[in-house]
Amino acid sequence: MQTYILIAKSVWDQKFAYRLNFILWRVRNVIQFLATYYLWFSVVPVNGSIAGYSQHMMLTYVLGTLLVSAFTLTTALGDVGPEIQNGDLSNSLIRPLNYFMYWMAKDAGDKAANLFFSVIEIALIILLLRPPFYWQTNPWYLLASVICILLAIVMNFLINMILGFIAFWSPEIWAPRFLTMIIIQFLGGSLFPLDIFPKIMVQIFQVLPFQYLVYFPLKVYLGQIPLMQILIGFVTMIVWIGIMWISCQMIWRKGLYVYSAEGR
Amino acid sequence: MSLISVNHFSKYYTVYKKEPGFMGSVKSLLVRKYEEVKAVDDISFSVESGELIGFIGPNGAGKTTTLKSLTGLLYPTKGEVSVLGYTPFERKHAFLKEISLVMGQKNQLLWDLPAIDSFILNKEMYGIADKTFKSQLNELTELLDVKAFLEIPIRKLSLGQRMKMELIGALIHNPKVLFLDEPTIGLDVVVQKNLREFIAEYNKKYEATILLTSHYMKDVEALCKRVIMINHGKILFDGELSKLIEQYAPTKEVSAVLGNKISEKDIVKIGEVKRYLAPQITLRIPRAHIGDAVKKLIEIGNVEDLSVQDPDIEDVIRDIFSAKNPQES
Amino acid sequence: MKKYIIVWWKLVSATSAIALAARFSAIMFTVGKIVRLGMFLVFLYVIMGKAKTLVGFSQDQIILFFLTFNFVDTLVQMLLREVYRFRGYIVNGTFDGFLTKPISPLFRALFGGGDILDMPMVLIMFLLIAALCIFKIHPSLEGVVLYGLLLVNSFLMAMAFHIFVVGLAIRTTEVDSAIMMYRDITSLGRMPVDIYKEPLRSIITFVIPVGIMMTFPVKFLYGLLNWQSFVLACGLSALFLVLSVVFWRNALRYYTSASS
Repeated sequence: MQTYILIAKSVWDQKFAYRLNFILWRVRNVIQFLATYYLWFSVVPVNGSIAGYSQHMMLTYVLGTLLVSAFTLTTALGDVGPEIQNGDLSNSLIRPLNYFMYWMAKDAGDKAANLFFSVIEIALIILLLRPPFYWQTNPWYLLASVICILLAIVMNFLINMILGFIAFWSPEIWAPRFLTMIIIQFLGGSLFPLDIFPKIMVQIFQVLPFQYLVYFPLKVYLGQIPLMQILIGFVTMIVWIGIMWISCQMIWRKGLYVYSAEGR
Repeated sequence: MSLISVNHFSKYYTVYKKEPGFMGSVKSLLVRKYEEVKAVDDISFSVESGELIGFIGPNGAGKTTTLKSLTGLLYPTKGEVSVLGYTPFERKHAFLKEISLVMGQKNQLLWDLPAIDSFILNKEMYGIADKTFKSQLNELTELLDVKAFLEIPIRKLSLGQRMKMELIGALIHNPKVLFLDEPTIGLDVVVQKNLREFIAEYNKKYEATILLTSHYMKDVEALCKRVIMINHGKILFDGELSKLIEQYAPTKEVSAVLGNKISEKDIVKIGEVKRYLAPQITLRIPRAHIGDAVKKLIEIGNVEDLSVQDPDIEDVIRDIFSAKNPQES
Repeated sequence: MKKYIIVWWKLVSATSAIALAARFSAIMFTVGKIVRLGMFLVFLYVIMGKAKTLVGFSQDQIILFFLTFNFVDTLVQMLLREVYRFRGYIVNGTFDGFLTKPISPLFRALFGGGDILDMPMVLIMFLLIAALCIFKIHPSLEGVVLYGLLLVNSFLMAMAFHIFVVGLAIRTTEVDSAIMMYRDITSLGRMPVDIYKEPLRSIITFVIPVGIMMTFPVKFLYGLLNWQSFVLACGLSALFLVLSVVFWRNALRYYTSASS
């Protein structure tokens, strides 16, 4: 366990070693956030509402996505594919480590560094822009949202792992990742709450895994999802995690076979 | 007027120092301590048309900086540099069409495509006529024996083949002045020899002026009559290679196979012993005393075989640099 | 000039040959870009269908702002793609090769790697804009001409910022995301810039004039701006171009070349 903590810490240290770049990356995040923020600020009239969202609610939602996605979407797993491709995977394989745990540790380090900055950013945004922030006080909703976020982290981990494993078969790893990121950006709910869409689309989103990465945990935190729906959401997430976990293991085994056969 | 003339040329770099740690980085964003590094410090030399000159010196001596300034990559901090009557840094196209730079560790051809594509691109850039291009390409590929690899992507070639392609790409426009920076680095002995022969041939055939840096003294020894030795940004020696040896290696090596066994004591009287593995012996003798030493050796040792040689150039150079700067090498 | 066109074409064909060799990626990237455009459009239709107006513009008008931004953004990316690779060229020393060839290194750095994969997107965007104008917006001829001229102006301004980016890469290799910063800031032009307030407003006024690049052309199409604004737009991009080229020339003096 000690090893994995050290691995996580090394990722944190690296982020800070290249801090100028890392800070610029965070600044980019903030600019993108502000773009969305002001769009909603202008779209929703001060005293009116759109699709059941008042301006107040909408801004709370948008601010919430910044925090939730820092937990769920940030990842160190972009390096899985390149590592397989350039043969560095061998270095990880010969060490007495569990490969999945190794990347979970790296992921944790990455998330910690991002969260550290996110909290500062959110504090600054709250101070400067004074958007309406919502403090959930009901312990049950808090508990439910924590569970949600943990499940979402696992889900995002598995999605990224599978994307990385493409490298076993093809050098073209960036395009699938690009496509997936675009889908997550929209269907995850980072730009807008998904329930502004027509009912039929909302129902489709509920079956797909993406909304559980940002939209669902955030709505649970905001206390805007009834208990029954929360439970259905949990079940859906667990089913998806199960499917992804099994596929991930299968792909990993087959991939390793290909990897060792080619002797990279 | 000389083909290349360098007058009191200096190139300084400013580097900034960063204190360690997080606060050090924050501080370095606001205030930075700059330090000047003198890569080349007030050097002058000139080169005549058709010469083949070798630059020697340890890593970081200033060889590459000099070469890069002569090709117009770097802006001189002080002094004047003139090549073919042009100021290199202005990078006039007329000037660039007359020169070429090849760097052993760097790839100038399109990595994922066959060499021929890069050559055609160069043809357009340099405005080479179809006919000239064809005959030049033909000749170079034959000389270097790489005709069969023209249509294979560069990344799939061996290092030796790639280096040959680099040379062709650099020579396709038939430059008057050729700058070679470590052209044989990392290559196997056979390819090194190939390239050396090619460079010598090219120099003769086209009367091209060639300036070369290399870590391999063999390259310099085989190719260059004249060498310029640089260390710490200053020229230590500029002249014929044989003179360099005379100046820096005041001794010659006398090797003999002895018929008699003689004691070390007696030999030491003749000169400094470099190696003694009976019956073979190698002595270091000052140039002026070679005659005497040989005579004595024959008298006492019943010599069966004898030779007098300059010391190994590699040794001489190493001695010079380690003497000037003991912590290096 | 002819030489430059031929060399440009050879370089673009080379880059394209590489890009198209990875067929699977080529398709995925294109699909990804179309999906992104489609989703954004759906999103805009949905919210504009509900909000009716945004800072005084109708649904169709807002969508034209969005499409215009995408057209400029994609066109710039397509033609100036090489800038994204430029820092790598400095770090690994490839830039030395640019400098010793008898062709402008700035030209090589900007245009030497056009991305053919963006071609379909530029066409799609152009057709969408044309369709929207013909069927919904019905602009005046004068508006269309000014719109076209200002798009050219936007491209020149974008080019100026790309020149700053490559110049910066020569001065310092510490910053590797300058071009991404540029993109993030200009992406604020997706919507008419009137919606932004401080601190964004200062950034898009003083750092990069996103409004002039992305919002002005459409406003001219709607006949909302006067000739002074036109002069301002052209003058500003001319100024940026001159400054950027001066910056580039100066940066070359400090080029240290990757140490070998």
